[in-house]
Amino acid sequence: MKYGKIAAVAASVFAAMIMTGCAAHNAGITKGEAFPQMYEEDPRSILVLPAMNESSDAEAKAYYATTIEMPIAQTGYYVFPMEMVSDVLKQEGVYDTELLYSMSADKFYDYFGADVVMFTRIKKWDVSYMVLASSLTVTIESEAYSTKTNEKLWDYDGSVTVDLTSNSGGGGLAGLLVQAIGTAINTAAADYVEYAHVANARLFFALPAGPYHPAHQTDQGVVIRKR
Amino acid sequence: MLMKAAWPLAAIALLSGCATKPQALYNYGTYSESYYAYKQDASAENLLAMQQAILTAIENANDSVSKRVAPGMYANLGYIYFKQGDTKQAVHYFEMEKGLYPESAHFMDRVIEKVRKAEAKGAKS
Repeated sequence: MKYGKIAAVAASVFAAMIMTGCAAHNAGITKGEAFPQMYEEDPRSILVLPAMNESSDAEAKAYYATTIEMPIAQTGYYVFPMEMVSDVLKQEGVYDTELLYSMSADKFYDYFGADVVMFTRIKKWDVSYMVLASSLTVTIESEAYSTKTNEKLWDYDGSVTVDLTSNSGGGGLAGLLVQAIGTAINTAAADYVEYAHVANARLFFALPAGPYHPAHQTDQGVVIRKR
Repeated sequence: MLMKAAWPLAAIALLSGCATKPQALYNYGTYSESYYAYKQDASAENLLAMQQAILTAIENANDSVSKRVAPGMYANLGYIYFKQGDTKQAVHYFEMEKGLYPESAHFMDRVIEKVRKAEAKGAKS
């Protein structure tokens, strides 16, 4: 009797897992549950502001700017051309990104006609060195605000950590030295921008599809990781 | 180069799990790589390389799900012409951007107005 019940429960759980398909392994939240206002307001265009750089690498901001247009456009939104946007802002006397981040979202409608303004923060863009291992981390946080209501419509983060430790090191002190050299070489070759693309892919996977995408307004059920 | 292109694709494939690999909505070609090179070194040579990358991506726009030129590509191209001093071509491409993506009209009009003012100033002196 008992076994029969357990088997039945297990069978129904299994059936549910099959029915939910790919999403079954991800104990998360759906896009529709996480960002209802995004579906309701249904913005067409996104203005991405130059990133706020909280990492230790001064160049991260300029380099990250080269990775942001494509993933958002591929999600189905009109994205304002990054180079023009940052140059125009500089011409208007806004050199300090932090100043932009304290402005209310509706200001960006006046100048650009954007439906949504997106703030991005580079949280990490660095290599951490440890005695035996070192790793490269790129972490991006992002928030999108409506220029009509000033309300937050979306926020998420994307992160990539890559182990840079060379596996060629043996034991003992000599091994440590070999590892240290191997790490240095790997770090020099490591391309942050490459990993920023991966972090972006994780980040914008959670963005509801925009009007130019075939999944527009039909992807509410897509399961994403909880923030 | 191939490895670079493969990274984001691999990430997307992993994230989408068992879904079949989607073809991209737009074809950006090597725009991102050329833009990165230009950010590393803003030389005339790198600007020219970026211009070429954008022109190629525009030519191959059909090789994508949307069959459209990607957002911002005409605008970015126009801006390169502007930097090279060709204001006529610049305005031409800003108009193209506006025509293809009405979402950009407000911004493009503002930019075109600026180019016209710069032209008038140049004509006076």
